[in-house]
Amino acid sequence: MWSLLKRYYRPLFVGFLLLAPLGAFLLGGSKGRGPNFIDRAIIAVTSPVQQGLTSAIEGAVAAGQNYLDLRGVRRENDALRLENLQLRAAVQALGESRMENERLRKLLNYAQAEPGPEIPARVVGVNPVAKLLSVRISSGEQQGVFRGMSVVTPDGIVGQVIRATGGYADVALVTDPQSRVAVRVQRSRARGTAAGTGGGPLKLENMLRTEDVEDGDLIITAGTDGIYPPGVVVGRVTNLEKKEHGMFQGADIVPAVDTSKLEEVLVVGSPYSAMAPGGTAEGASK
Amino acid sequence: MKFLVSVALALALLTLESVLVKQAGLELGRVDVTVVLVAFLALRATLMEGAISAFSVGYLLDLMSGQPTWLYTFLAVFIFLVGRLVPTFVEVRGALAFALFSMAADVGHSLLASFFTWLTVKEDGPGSQLAEMPLQVALTGLAALALFPLLRRFEASQERPAGLLR
Repeated sequence: MWSLLKRYYRPLFVGFLLLAPLGAFLLGGSKGRGPNFIDRAIIAVTSPVQQGLTSAIEGAVAAGQNYLDLRGVRRENDALRLENLQLRAAVQALGESRMENERLRKLLNYAQAEPGPEIPARVVGVNPVAKLLSVRISSGEQQGVFRGMSVVTPDGIVGQVIRATGGYADVALVTDPQSRVAVRVQRSRARGTAAGTGGGPLKLENMLRTEDVEDGDLIITAGTDGIYPPGVVVGRVTNLEKKEHGMFQGADIVPAVDTSKLEEVLVVGSPYSAMAPGGTAEGASK
Repeated sequence: MKFLVSVALALALLTLESVLVKQAGLELGRVDVTVVLVAFLALRATLMEGAISAFSVGYLLDLMSGQPTWLYTFLAVFIFLVGRLVPTFVEVRGALAFALFSMAADVGHSLLASFFTWLTVKEDGPGSQLAEMPLQVALTGLAALALFPLLRRFEASQERPAGLLR
C-alpha cells in the first residue's frame, strides 16, 4: 500500500488538487465561504495596494480635469445659482412637511425608528470576475462593517456587504444577477422585487398585474427583506409591460446609482448576526 | 520558484485589474489574466509545480471575486491539466501562438464557469451569461500578447546556465 502511494503520489496529489475544490463548490459553493486567516492575510496585503493605486490614478485624473473644468466654470456657476434657488424653495417646503409629519406622529404616538450608524467608505477596487458584480470598499470590521449590512449613496441603493475583514469589505452590487431587493412604488405603495440582471437595468418582479404602476414611477426599498432600510431610492420604472393574462406585470428599473462609477459610499443597517435573536455584530465576522 | 513567481504575478495583475476596471467603468468586460498565467504554466511547468501554481492562482481569483466558491480554483487546475495535453497535438511557439492558445483556454474557462454557475444558481440559461464572452476573450488574447515577453523573461531568469559542475 505504502509503495503504491509512493509510486503514484504525484497523480494522486494532482487529482486531489482538482477534485477537492470541485467537491467544495458542488457541496456549498453557491453560498460562498467566510474568510479564513489566509484570505485575511491576502486581503490585508492587496487592499492597501488597491487603495494606493486608486488614489494615485484619481489624483492624476483630477489634476488634469481641474484645469479643463475652470473653462466652463462661469456658465456652470450661473446654472448652479438658479438650481440653488429652486432647491432652497424645495427644502423650505419639505421643512413644513417634516414639521407637520412630526406633529402627526406625536398625535398618533408613533414609535420613531432609531437611525443606525452610517459608515463612510471609499471604493478601492472592482472584483476581476465578471460573473459576480462586487466592489471592495475601504471600511471593514474595524470600522463596524459586517456581512449583511447594506450599502447606499445619497442617490440610492448600491448593494450589500458579503464579506468583511479587518479594514476592508466586499459589496455585492444590486445589479448582480443573484441580487434581490424588496421594493415598493413610492406613489402607489405597490410592492414587488427588484432583481439584478448583471449590468444595466434591474427587473421588476412579483408585481401583481392589478397594482398601480406607471412608466417613470420612483421605486424605493420596502424594508421587508430585513437587509435594506425602507425608503432608499432604487430607480425609476421603464419599459412597463402590462400583460393581458397572468398574475404579474413586468418592467425594467433604471438604477438611481451608476454602479460602474462608484467612488464614495455609506454602509448602513444591521449585520446578519444582529437579525438573529441574541446575535452580536462581532458574530458576523465569524 | 515558478510557483512563487506565478502567485506574485497573479496577485499583482489581479490587484491592478481590479483598479483599472474601476477606473474604466467596465461592468462586463474583464481580462482573464489568471487564464493567461495558467496557460503559460500548462506549456512550461512540470506537472506538480504547475498544478500547485494553478491551484494557488485559481484560489486568488476566487478570493478576489468577493464571494469565493472554489469554482475558479477547480477551473484553474482543470484548464492547466487540459492545456498540458495541447502541445502533444499542436506546437505552441511564439507570442501569437501563445495568445491564440490563451484565448482558446479562456473560451473553455468561460463556458465551464457559466455552466457551473448556472448549475448552482439556475436563474437563467447558461447562454445568458455568455454575452460578454467575445470581448473578454479578445481582451485576454491582447493581455497574453503583452504578458508573453514578461513571462519568458521570468522563465529565462530561472534557467541556470549549464556548467561543468552540473
